Amino acid sequence: MKHILYICLLVCMPWSVAGQSKFFTKTGHTEFKASVEAFEPVEATNKSTTVVLNTDNGAIAALLFVKAFHFEIALMEEHFNENYMDSDKYPKATFKGNLEGFSMDKLSNDAVAFNLTGVLNVRGKEKRITTIATLSKVDGKITMLANFSVTPQDFDIDIPKIVRKKIAEQINVKIHYELIQKN
Amino acid sequence: MSSSKKIKIALGVIAFVFISAFVIKSVIYKPHTLIENESTSYEGQAAIFLETLKRDVKQWQNKIVVLSGTISSKDNNGVMLNHAIYCQFKDVGPLKALQQGQTITLKGRIIGYDDLLEELKLDKTIIINTKK
Repeated sequence: MKHILYICLLVCMPWSVAGQSKFFTKTGHTEFKASVEAFEPVEATNKSTTVVLNTDNGAIAALLFVKAFHFEIALMEEHFNENYMDSDKYPKATFKGNLEGFSMDKLSNDAVAFNLTGVLNVRGKEKRITTIATLSKVDGKITMLANFSVTPQDFDIDIPKIVRKKIAEQINVKIHYELIQKN
Repeated sequence: MSSSKKIKIALGVIAFVFISAFVIKSVIYKPHTLIENESTSYEGQAAIFLETLKRDVKQWQNKIVVLSGTISSKDNNGVMLNHAIYCQFKDVGPLKALQQGQTITLKGRIIGYDDLLEELKLDKTIIINTKK
């Protein structure tokens, strides 16, 4: 009886693994802009974002390291990490969400829009995000684009009065992920 | 006050303004540190480093390391060292010449441990040596 069970397990295993198809990237681009006109641009890009998309159900998980955000101005990067993001204490920002109604069959060369909802965690604070993501699939690669905005208050980031005018109240986040199939 | 003294004071003030403007500018617009010039916190075999790392990942965050290991896989932006350390290259140009299975010494910055893919992640990676 035991043997039969083992055989059944062995037969079923490859199927259960194959059923979990995932697309991913380790080097996704996450960009934010908090610039105010007439002042020095406050913007940075993180080119090391990890993103995993479960193509069976549209579940998406992303992780980035705050210190990997690159600013044009080195001093701004230093202040961002030390004064605002406290990145030694909170090194990661994560996102867990879902692409509503996602199915691989819907993807094509042309961009298709899906509602993207989920929870963004920055500095240990959670913020619910609802936006539209556009996805396309070319040569086996899924490209995912989306924009959304957050505010510094969402994550308890205190902007000192002296620089308040130089940092936009709404921070626009732009994502550009190119996902490949995970073996 | 004689006119020559006035000129001297005026020149002094102008020089002071210029110098302070220059100092302020060089502080605000100081260049990014270059990985090539940064001192390393660890230098050695990737396999041994992975054992050291297990004890406390957090203390290695943002540290510069030089690691020797085997390229277990490669993508458009970097290489995987010993199946466990992903090194994202600063400049992808030199990547083309690298091959899977090759032993290599790399210098990079640890950005953290990626829980999603269960691997250590480095960025700004440069090649130090392509031999062991």
